[in-house]
Amino acid sequence: MTTDARRRPGIERMLAVVAVVGGALAVVAGSPTRATRGSVDVTELARIVEHEEDHVTAVELAKWIRDDKPRLRILDIRADSEFDDFHIPGATRVPLAQIARMPLDSAATYVLYSEGGTHAAQGWFLLRARGVKNVFFLRGGLYEWLEQVMAPRVASTTPQAQRDSIRALTLWFGGKMQVVDSTSATTVPSVLDGALSAPRAPDARETIRKIRRRAC
Amino acid sequence: MMGAAPFYEFGRFGEGTSLVIAVLLGVAFGWFLEQGGMGNARKLSGQFYFTDLSVLKLMFSAIVTAMLGLFWLSWAGLLDLSRVYVPETFIAPQLVGGLVFGAGFATGGLCPGTSCVAAATGRKDGLALIAGMLAGVFVFGEAFPAIGRFADSTARGAWTLPQALGLSYGTVVGMVVAVALGAFAGAEWLERRAERPARPMKVAA
Amino acid sequence: MSNVAATAAGQALGAAAPSRADAATAAPTRVRREAAQYASPYLAGVGIGVVLLLAFVLMGRGLGASGAFSSVVAAAVSTAAPSHAAGNEFYSRYLSDGAANPLRDWLVLEIIGVVIGGLASAVLAGRVRWTTERGAGITDRRRLVNAFVGGTAMGVGAKLARGCTSGLGLTGGATLSVGSWLFVITAFAGAYAAAPLLRRAWR
Repeated sequence: MTTDARRRPGIERMLAVVAVVGGALAVVAGSPTRATRGSVDVTELARIVEHEEDHVTAVELAKWIRDDKPRLRILDIRADSEFDDFHIPGATRVPLAQIARMPLDSAATYVLYSEGGTHAAQGWFLLRARGVKNVFFLRGGLYEWLEQVMAPRVASTTPQAQRDSIRALTLWFGGKMQVVDSTSATTVPSVLDGALSAPRAPDARETIRKIRRRAC
Repeated sequence: MMGAAPFYEFGRFGEGTSLVIAVLLGVAFGWFLEQGGMGNARKLSGQFYFTDLSVLKLMFSAIVTAMLGLFWLSWAGLLDLSRVYVPETFIAPQLVGGLVFGAGFATGGLCPGTSCVAAATGRKDGLALIAGMLAGVFVFGEAFPAIGRFADSTARGAWTLPQALGLSYGTVVGMVVAVALGAFAGAEWLERRAERPARPMKVAA
Repeated sequence: MSNVAATAAGQALGAAAPSRADAATAAPTRVRREAAQYASPYLAGVGIGVVLLLAFVLMGRGLGASGAFSSVVAAAVSTAAPSHAAGNEFYSRYLSDGAANPLRDWLVLEIIGVVIGGLASAVLAGRVRWTTERGAGITDRRRLVNAFVGGTAMGVGAKLARGCTSGLGLTGGATLSVGSWLFVITAFAGAYAAAPLLRRAWR
């Protein structure tokens, strides 16, 4: 009963050799992610930055999302908990370290954002160094999104057509537009303003649900 | 090109497909468990008397195979390791839970997964063990208000051995392979020893 | 193959089988297949390793088992006593994301697969038997009691540790999770500590 297994010493030995080789090489390799070298054409990049072709405005991004721009990949590079509290609909959370080695989709348009925009700009640079051409970042970060899309304050002197267009866009994302009389229309609202009143993006719930269900 | 793995994490297919995959993977899992004799409590418990160490051989072989696969697929850029779920560490609950689990393992002669294989192949002890598992989970659930705090204590998140030991991932992989092969050699020796006939008794002259 | 096993195989599926002597002289009856030998644990293990790796590659997660039991219990409790389940943090964690249906739980479906796969393998190998695996030293009843008690302990232990030999041992082992390796070590320690008390059960 005990060791009544049908043994195949030949195959077993071969597998053992494969394991030894695999393990030994792993020690040599050290890290399971290969160091990636990037290269940049500095002149080209400078030109792009100067022409402001490196970033998008929050409104532009909002329109891309609403119009279901194909293969749009929005990357949020803030911390996990911040992502869970609120993120731009359709965004996935990708820390900067992962940006450096994540698999790339050559047909995708990448848009990076962070809270203020600085980290996103650095992420933009990393992706450009990896050879990605269709990459932008949100220069004003999440603040710009909240300010321009979720809770825009529009001067009453703005033409009606423009106001309607902004209102439609804002409503689409569950935000609220405010018309103000003073000429200084846009002041940065507190981050909580408008953001928490917006319904949680459905995919945020989905993401949380996915993580929880993977436990054994 | 399919792109990188894990495919589900990259949205390559949806929940429905993932559930079909669950069944298919389960079928293969159950198949190999039964093939290895893990659905038989008598064979399995031989592990704890050093007569039949199939449990150790099977588990360690599986771990080494998957571990090497993860490492090299990641190295080849085909798999994003950071998206692979690493079971979280809860030091105290896992130490205590492990002891309790192990005692139950020796008593029952099967573990949760193998009990299903045993039950599937007609073993009443497998069915009894499944019933016991359900009861145990229920007991835990009811007792949770009292022990919940302990169960959630000493959390360390997705803490890995390379991080804890301060060694490179590849070094730990190599170490695990070495330990596994050493364990296999030890297991073969122990089994051979168990099969040797007992020394004949001295007969009075 | 020992005689015990051969006779056992002969009694597969509950029907009385002719003894070996009868079979030799009787008119050709349906030949009862002898139970096939088990496969090499190394090869079966590598097979499981490949399945585990496939799970990582396809789903980004590993295999498991105890979680399926939790889903079933949580669903049962919430159906039988909804307000009690909602007030209990353990059950409500399983129900909060609206997945009160175990048939939509990944692990439950995986376990259904395990049952199918295990049965298929046993059928093809002639190893299906309606019986109780035990040593000669105890009765069937005692063995079943042991199994139930052992199962209860494992249910509690697996919930405390958030996994079992499949979820922590295999999945956590392959992903080098510290807690999983700790669990496996203490589980084996616990098993070896308890084993001497149960020696008679297996002889």
